[in-house]
Amino acid sequence: MMADAILRASGVYAGYGRGDIIHGVSVEARPGEIVTVIGPNGAGKSTLIKTIAGLLSPRLGTVAIGDEEIGGLPAPAVARRGIAFVPQEANVFRQLTVAENLEMGAWTDQDRKDERLDKVHALFPVLAERRHVRAGNLSGGQRQMVAFGMAMMVEPRVLLLDEPSAGLSPTMVEQMFEIVKGVNQTGVAVLMVEQNAIQALKISRRGYVMAAGKVALEDAADNLLQNKEISELYLGSRV
Amino acid sequence: MTAYLVSMLTFTGFFMILALALNLQWGMTGMVNFGIAGFYALGAYTSGLLTAKLGWPVGLAMPTAVAAGFVAGGLIALLSLRLREDFFAIVTLGFGEIMRLIALNEDEITEGPRGLKIDARPFAGMFDRELYPIVYLILVASVVALAFIVVECIRRAPLGRTLRAIREDDVVAEVLGKNVLLHRVTVFAIGGAFMGAAGALYAHYVQNISPEVFMPMVAIFIWMSVIVGGAGNNWGLLIGAGIVMTILEGTRFIGDFVDILDAEKLSALRIILIGTLLIIILRVKQGGLLPEQRFTYKGSQESGRTETQTSNA
Amino acid sequence: MSWQILVNGLVNAALIAPPAIALSLIFGVMRFPNFAIGGYITVGAFFAYAVNVDLGAPIWLAAIAAMIGTAVVVWLSDALVFRPMQGRGPVTLLVLSIALTLILEHIVRLFYGADVRGFDLPLQRPYRFGDIRITQEQIEIIVLAIAIAAITHLILQYTRTGKAVRATADNPMLAQVRGIDTGWIILLTWLYCGMLFGLTGVLAGLDLVIEPLVGWYLTIPIFAAAILGGIGSPYGAMLGALLVGLAEELTVLILPSTYKIGVGFVIIAILLLVRPQGLLGRPEIKK
Repeated sequence: MMADAILRASGVYAGYGRGDIIHGVSVEARPGEIVTVIGPNGAGKSTLIKTIAGLLSPRLGTVAIGDEEIGGLPAPAVARRGIAFVPQEANVFRQLTVAENLEMGAWTDQDRKDERLDKVHALFPVLAERRHVRAGNLSGGQRQMVAFGMAMMVEPRVLLLDEPSAGLSPTMVEQMFEIVKGVNQTGVAVLMVEQNAIQALKISRRGYVMAAGKVALEDAADNLLQNKEISELYLGSRV
Repeated sequence: MTAYLVSMLTFTGFFMILALALNLQWGMTGMVNFGIAGFYALGAYTSGLLTAKLGWPVGLAMPTAVAAGFVAGGLIALLSLRLREDFFAIVTLGFGEIMRLIALNEDEITEGPRGLKIDARPFAGMFDRELYPIVYLILVASVVALAFIVVECIRRAPLGRTLRAIREDDVVAEVLGKNVLLHRVTVFAIGGAFMGAAGALYAHYVQNISPEVFMPMVAIFIWMSVIVGGAGNNWGLLIGAGIVMTILEGTRFIGDFVDILDAEKLSALRIILIGTLLIIILRVKQGGLLPEQRFTYKGSQESGRTETQTSNA
Repeated sequence: MSWQILVNGLVNAALIAPPAIALSLIFGVMRFPNFAIGGYITVGAFFAYAVNVDLGAPIWLAAIAAMIGTAVVVWLSDALVFRPMQGRGPVTLLVLSIALTLILEHIVRLFYGADVRGFDLPLQRPYRFGDIRITQEQIEIIVLAIAIAAITHLILQYTRTGKAVRATADNPMLAQVRGIDTGWIILLTWLYCGMLFGLTGVLAGLDLVIEPLVGWYLTIPIFAAAILGGIGSPYGAMLGALLVGLAEELTVLILPSTYKIGVGFVIIAILLLVRPQGLLGRPEIKK
């Protein structure tokens, strides 16, 4: 249970240049688990995940994958180390076909590309069917599958998800979390930030609650779901 | 020497009027105008042709030139309704080139590259030859002052706040109930009017105008004046116009010391110098140019590059 | 008469198609209208002139030298001007590119003056097909334009790097997240486009004349073609070049040929108003 963390951010301060948005945040993901970071809008969830993905540099603190420090590395270098980030919006190449999108997914690791493509197609059969369609012409749900499929093309060590359920219809949200579970069952650790706290925590092993740029609470997902204060503060409106 | 100084100041005055007009259009409203030479030419040829070919009095021809600039500015601003700012810039550049092409090619009217000779002058015969250049300088200075007051008033009036709102975000301004298009058209037309005035003053001062004066290069000089002085700052750009004119004139004297350079090469060298200075100023004055409000994080959509810029994200 | 106009229009289109494709590619990855292309084309023409006339080398060698030389100039301008000022907004970059084109044009003037020149080539009789006249050079220009369009298409559609160029143009942030070194991709795009601009300078020198303003005269039709095709869409640029090339020649029937450059602007203005996304472009939200 207490395996060493595969991804660990400790004491991270970061923001968009004009001062920090997150102040000394520490989170970790262990092999094979789903971890969710919840919190209200503006708590700094997105800043945290973008910093881990290399889109922002931490001003202070460290980010490590395994034993290797990656804080401050540019995004492509982070990607090459097996961290696959799925952004919240604009997460597919709209002008490229589905097949080309998946090919770009495999950019950093060309080995056994076909084998992985088969795996992704097995996970999302519809992508095989529509492989010659431009991603921009797909439905929202199918675009989300392309975004996931792209990330899975490298057999990542950690999957980072920024609000995967944002903008999806309620039925799609459920489907979305099924997809996350399915991806996790292939052995990939998942770290996601979510507004949709209840459903996200239901499939998670652990959770962090962020508020005002700090981690306010960290506990097993089940405990967080039971926690009255939490459900009133952050989950209430979402039930 | 005094005569030279007076003429240099007069030319600086033309630059100042153009720079103030550009500042109204771009520095305060965010509308990019690269067709400054076109408005300048429109004013010069309108007033020049009306006096030289139709025998109009200067007192009537010059206001007509101003009106022409006003109308042209308003019409072009209508296009901004549907265009992104950088594409609008291309359209204004096109306007400038088309004005120059007309002046160049319709030589039965404009005399084309031979140059249009203009005899009429404001206050002709009222002052003696010695005094006249100074009188003209005062006339130009008054127009500079007028432009300054108008632009400054617009900046301070509620209209100015609206203009800044449009510059920052025209969608928000629209939502707030500000009629963005009307404001844009008004501002661009007023800017065009002052540019037309500068052209008319120029025409009757040099009394011989030809198309090669109105190359797109003029726009660069004026842009440089505004950028050096600081966008949105009317005092700054007066200084900026002075600096640009000093560089333009100062480099003329290089030829006196270096005789291997003929006039052609010297003028090329001046443009290279001006262009390089513009680039350096833009590079050094980080953020001094456009008030870029959009935040960008490392490797943003705007720039699309990360690798080179990890430190200042 | 009318067939001759068609042929002239085709040659015209062939001349502006490669740089219009290049402009589209550059716009795709850089996101601003780069007016430095005029300077690049002029530089290319004079590189070739220097190698061909001053050094006495054959024209094909001069063309290769011009492509390499222009690519280097383009790379330098990116490293010294555009890269340090990335993220400053399209208007600032537009001002910079206009300043750059003036600098390049006048560096050429400094060395060669404003005289009109031509390559050192044996004079050849134009071919005649009935009433239609076409020179050897014009045929070469058309063949080269088709070859460049085909090569660009193959690179973009079937090579890994070409797909990465499209991915970077489409969504640079996502490209980085997927591990694509977008800085490298942008550099490669610049170099490829630099070679196309250099070649355009040579072809313009073959068909028209060599003078410092040769790039400026072509800038507007190139922009018209790229915008017509939907800026950022290389395929649209090819189509746009064809339409602009023909339109410019057709206006010769009504207007003096000196107004050619104005035709490009009018096409741009009308098109931007009626269909801002271009013929094949995707709609882009006006900021």
